[in-house]
Amino acid sequence: MNLLLPQLDQTGYSPGPNRVQSRIQQGTVLVFGLILCSLLLSGCGKRESKVDRATREGMLLIGNGGEPKALDPHLVTSVGDSAIMRAMFEGLVTYHPSNDATHAPGVAERWEANDKKTVWTFYLRKNAKWSNGDPVTAHDFVYSYHRILHPEMGAPYASMLYFLRNAKEYNTDKEGKVPFEDVGVKALDDYTLELTLPNPTPFLPDVLKHTTWLPVHKPTIEKYGGMTEHFTDWQKPGNSVSNGAFQVTKWRVGSYVRVEKNPYYWDKDNVKLNGVEFYAFENSFTEERAFRNGLIHKTYVVPPNLIPLYKEKKSPELRLEPYIGTYFYRFNCTNEVTGNVHLRRALSAAIDREQIVKYVTQAGEIPAYAFTPPTEGGYQPPRRVKFDPAEAKEHLKNAGYAKGSDVPAFSLFINTSESHTAVAIAILDMWKTHLGIDPKKVTIKNQEWKVYQVTIQDLKYDVARSGWIGDYLDPKTFLSLFTSDDTNNHTGWANDEYDRLFAESDNIGDEAKRFEKLEQLENVLLDELPITPIYWYTTKYLLNDDVRNWNPLLLDNHPFKAVELIAD
Amino acid sequence: MSLLPRHSETIEKGTSLGRDAWLRLKKNKLAMMSFWFIIFITAACVLFPAFPGFPDPNKTHLVLKSQGPFSSGVSAEGEKVFFLLGSDHLGHDIFSRIIHGGRVSLMVGLIATAVSLTIGLIYGAVAGFIGGRTDSVMMRIVDILYALPFFITVIILTTYFGNHLWLLFVCIGAVEWLTMARIVRAQVQSLSKQEFIEAARSLGLSKWRIIFRHLIPNTLGPVIVYTTLTVPAVMRLEAILSFLGLGVQPPNASWGSLIKEGADRMASDPYLLIFPAIVFGLTLFALNFLGDGLRDALDPKSSKD
Repeated sequence: MNLLLPQLDQTGYSPGPNRVQSRIQQGTVLVFGLILCSLLLSGCGKRESKVDRATREGMLLIGNGGEPKALDPHLVTSVGDSAIMRAMFEGLVTYHPSNDATHAPGVAERWEANDKKTVWTFYLRKNAKWSNGDPVTAHDFVYSYHRILHPEMGAPYASMLYFLRNAKEYNTDKEGKVPFEDVGVKALDDYTLELTLPNPTPFLPDVLKHTTWLPVHKPTIEKYGGMTEHFTDWQKPGNSVSNGAFQVTKWRVGSYVRVEKNPYYWDKDNVKLNGVEFYAFENSFTEERAFRNGLIHKTYVVPPNLIPLYKEKKSPELRLEPYIGTYFYRFNCTNEVTGNVHLRRALSAAIDREQIVKYVTQAGEIPAYAFTPPTEGGYQPPRRVKFDPAEAKEHLKNAGYAKGSDVPAFSLFINTSESHTAVAIAILDMWKTHLGIDPKKVTIKNQEWKVYQVTIQDLKYDVARSGWIGDYLDPKTFLSLFTSDDTNNHTGWANDEYDRLFAESDNIGDEAKRFEKLEQLENVLLDELPITPIYWYTTKYLLNDDVRNWNPLLLDNHPFKAVELIAD
Repeated sequence: MSLLPRHSETIEKGTSLGRDAWLRLKKNKLAMMSFWFIIFITAACVLFPAFPGFPDPNKTHLVLKSQGPFSSGVSAEGEKVFFLLGSDHLGHDIFSRIIHGGRVSLMVGLIATAVSLTIGLIYGAVAGFIGGRTDSVMMRIVDILYALPFFITVIILTTYFGNHLWLLFVCIGAVEWLTMARIVRAQVQSLSKQEFIEAARSLGLSKWRIIFRHLIPNTLGPVIVYTTLTVPAVMRLEAILSFLGLGVQPPNASWGSLIKEGADRMASDPYLLIFPAIVFGLTLFALNFLGDGLRDALDPKSSKD
């Protein structure tokens, strides 16, 4: 029964007083009493919990969502995996511990751009080293960008580098007509890197902080297979060479990944932690129990039903912070059922987002009325998506189904998680109530994260739950997703007008005008609905008070080198 | 003086094995209580949903989520809703879910056990009675099947045939019969050396007749005990498989999945765990007591008292 009823950890328990009945003879009572006393005494001496010990040793223990797909910055896509990459590798520019808009220098000491913001020059620090002692040079970055953009690599996130001149052409060219030399990246010398962009991009340093722009160590990659080979042994502890504050020392599949201080890191004197352990928890309830029993410093999420309890207790451990991300459902536009735009509109209009946020997720999320979350003083998306049962029925008729029960069977994919299941069940019931769709015809399919990602990529779904977290602070990180050639599109949706408007928006230097264009763009998206937004995220996690310098961040990308552990 | 025994005036009525067993079972109070309890639970699961006005187990009332037992409220659509045993995190009626979940759990328990019982009994009896090389080959096949990892087999089967409930029955039944076959074989081996089998042989009965008429009825004692242990094991396997996403799919529920959901939320809503666990636990107890009683009734020789 272990699987059904996860056992409470021993640390939470001490034997309670037992009622000893008078019938038991005195001698027995004495023996019982002695045993009880010794048990109670051993329970009284406060045992050091795992977290206390870790704090003492400078090891940060954090829940990190699912099992990492890879420890290769060019292959990972999930938020949890990126966190490990952020600890292990360092890009040209890195995240500031308390301000999203500030750029902390990473491998690059300083940088400059021309007036049009199309040519950027980065001056690398001479003391940056790999974890085996090799110097980090501009050539490493050229090699890394070559690797992620290589058409044979098929990197899932290669489109993040499309900012570079000819990067898209090179990445999508299967015949090898475009040489890599045409791509806008050049090492002027060992410590100077020049990036050339076709469009003015004042926010480039924001973009460069992302996982995809991290460098990899060429000799290591080549030693364990070719440049474009996936999942080779190079990412294993012992083989892996990285340039960040930490290097991987242990990877226990299904349990945790441990990274420890990189002795060659240029700024190692300012790294406060000795290491970080990233734990894979797929069940948020198990994770919360682990936190409560002192097994981890920080959780990845908090189960929704416990949020009111923590709020009631006014627990300082509960953190609810704004987050730039959207929870949405993808529709597979290549199949017959969900390829029907009217049906998509009907399904979207029948979802009561207010109710989901209020009763199911409960962490102060905002019901989404568009795909891109609004930013204060920045981009404001159009208010297009709303709950309207009457309109939903109208769309259903247009779709060619007189009644909801005519809608053919389709599947709804989610990755294994209590909260995704809850949202899916709630939405299923809304479709039944407002459209009359037979719930027996919609199968909710649960898949483990790795399998689920492949299912989505291969378009083997009808409807699928997804989330998108902004990679940098600009609406482009959201809207670029649904251009026909984006590697994270995964809906099979392609719209010429959308692509055209997107390309046009790229050439506009003036912020206000660019946002206007992007609003037009988003209108096209929300009219066609290859996806339907559900809500805008908040980050919700539990944080042990030993952890210092962990500040609220809109992008939630915390640089681990600034984090400190101090016991009270 | 006659050497013949004196006949009584009235001829005693013969009783069958089944009637004998029933009379003995009737004296065992615990077993009888368990028997009626199982009948009651089964009847409830089968009949209750047919009543008009019985709540839909998959209907969500988000406004009325996490309500305690015996609570009522007005749903978003303005209907009055009463929760006998409370509602869960999505406002599902727990009572209705327990009843509907019971259909799945009991069905899995009974069908999968029946499958394993049939295969195991026949397979074991044949192997044990025929013996020799046939026995060796048959039992080596069982060994090989034993070595197959259960979960991997189920995962492979579900990827080929899709996620169907009947597949779950077949998978579980197909795994559970192995132990049954071994138990029956051992029993049959010892029985087939006894005099009554020798007698049956010398009377020229066919092998099949000996197996089905004389051997299998005599193995019933241990078989019934093992069967009653199989039912809970099977229900637990179903729960584990549902937990892994291979069994019952949401929003449908089984007792296993309800207990799992309840265990996750026991800090905030303990009744979500308590009610399904009570029903599941009582059913398992009842099955065990009934099995014990049946063993005593069918095979008085092995009875403890």
